[in-house]
Amino acid sequence: MLSQQILNGLVTGSVYALFSLGFTLIFGVQKLLNFAHGATFMAGAFIAYYCTISGLPFLLAIGFSMVATGVIAILVDLIAFRSLRKRGNAEFPALVSSIGVDLILVSIAQQVSKTQVLNFPFGTFPVKFYTFMGLRISLLQLVILATVAVLVALLIFYLKKTTFGRQVRAVATNERAAALLGVNAQSVYLQTFFIAGALAGLAGVLIGLLFNSMQFLMGEPYMLRAFVVVVIGGLGSVPGAIVASLMLGVMQSLTVAYLPSGLTDAIIFALLFVVLLIRPNGLFGDANAVAGGTRQ
Amino acid sequence: MIQFYYAYQPIIDFFLLSVGFGYSQQIALRAGVFSIATAGFAAIGAYTVAILVTKSGFPIAASVVLGMVIAGVGGLLLSLPLARLRGAFQAIATLAFVQIVISLLLYAEDFTGGALGVTGIPRVMNTGILLVIVAVVMYVMWSIGRTGLGRIFDALRQEESVAASLGVNIGRYHALAFILSGAVGGLFGGLQSLYVFQIEPHNFGFAFMVNVLTVVILGGRTTLLGPIMGAAIMAILPELARPLAEYRPAVNGVILILVITFLPNGVGDEIVFWFRRRRHAAAAANRAQAKEAKDAVTSS
Repeated sequence: MLSQQILNGLVTGSVYALFSLGFTLIFGVQKLLNFAHGATFMAGAFIAYYCTISGLPFLLAIGFSMVATGVIAILVDLIAFRSLRKRGNAEFPALVSSIGVDLILVSIAQQVSKTQVLNFPFGTFPVKFYTFMGLRISLLQLVILATVAVLVALLIFYLKKTTFGRQVRAVATNERAAALLGVNAQSVYLQTFFIAGALAGLAGVLIGLLFNSMQFLMGEPYMLRAFVVVVIGGLGSVPGAIVASLMLGVMQSLTVAYLPSGLTDAIIFALLFVVLLIRPNGLFGDANAVAGGTRQ
Repeated sequence: MIQFYYAYQPIIDFFLLSVGFGYSQQIALRAGVFSIATAGFAAIGAYTVAILVTKSGFPIAASVVLGMVIAGVGGLLLSLPLARLRGAFQAIATLAFVQIVISLLLYAEDFTGGALGVTGIPRVMNTGILLVIVAVVMYVMWSIGRTGLGRIFDALRQEESVAASLGVNIGRYHALAFILSGAVGGLFGGLQSLYVFQIEPHNFGFAFMVNVLTVVILGGRTTLLGPIMGAAIMAILPELARPLAEYRPAVNGVILILVITFLPNGVGDEIVFWFRRRRHAAAAANRAQAKEAKDAVTSS
């Protein structure tokens, strides 16, 4: 039973990882919190749903939804972040304007879905279960684990081994120096936003499939979870986000199973506080940097 | 006037409560703390009053004061772990604080009624009392702005290291900002629960946080006029934009983006700054004129 819970937790945690990676990537590059990330996630699930019921093959619907959420994320950058970044000291203004984008997306989704809970039509994804050493795992769970593993590997390869990845890391370290060396920071921003949006969109589809229920506010709890993940893992750290997501997923399914229900959120957010107190930069964050600015 | 009052009384009351929450949010931002904890403070105040009044028959005024004190102490306790954090981390930590408050309210069902909340709270608030309390809070805010405390808060917001080099104890004044934010938030949370008859944890969730933040962003983060303008816009807007009622959150979102991009100081602050500039310009012109007159006298 315990190992079954851990397995379920790992599956949920891997989707958290997909979602949080984009969030932490944007923070790593821009030092800005993107509050519209949860709405982008929701948009991914919604777009895939409406594509599926209008007759598109499911895989195509997922692909389309990832491209669309990538574009949405780019729009977030252009509308909410770009002009603020030019003015400098954008931390707080960007938080506000991304909340603005979040409100717009959520409001549109509410009208489109008429505040209903949406479910993918039965048979969108084959329902199959396998039993392995006493563990029950569904085909969907297997596919989710595999997809996330492949995407995370691709992302790390991309960031570490390609020219673009080096540019991203250069801009993250020092935008001005990178620009002096001929890196086009604007294009780096657009690409990171596209990747972040597409990953969030896919996470939305996977969560929509996993729990087979989608509604316009579904992004909010995931965004709050993403905060926990990025703080525990270290804001801006990719490996930190992955490890922290899996940890959070397992912890969540264990607390739900073994502790009084309703305490899960309190425990998770209390954990965030503990980490902020002991290691403000997270488990994988830069130990030399001071959390969020200089301290005299 | 009386006619107008009766027609718009709920909007006026809503406006007054928003102004109160706005000041709670503003005092933190003014001191350079990225706190979005007002929702949590309001929840603490609201539940303290609701539980004390409905379950133990505590005097209403005393329970409002107690709610305010508890929320203020909550602010103090919150400020301790946050002393090491800045910027985005502060925002995340205060967001986590709000989530912890809400989930504890949901969990402690015997005490708080869980998701159903507390009902049957006597509705004793009216526009008059709200107006008086808002006036008192404004007076307190005004006096803070006039004294050294306001200048210390402004210095902390603008450049923390300079403030520190001038001998300002950063931790102490951030804690003070949190206490003030908590007390004001708790006070108006308590007033709200005496106004709405029934409260539940989700009244104080993400939407509440966004609304309070909107009031301060629209109005302004430093002047007394800020939250008033912000709350007024938030109260009047739904009336003006009736055809867009279904898309109200989207309208709010568009306004947030436009204001933070093109009027980053907020409407209220911009108005105050404009008058200040004009006064300074007038004073400078006066000085120039006086000098000219003096020169004319001496040369002749």
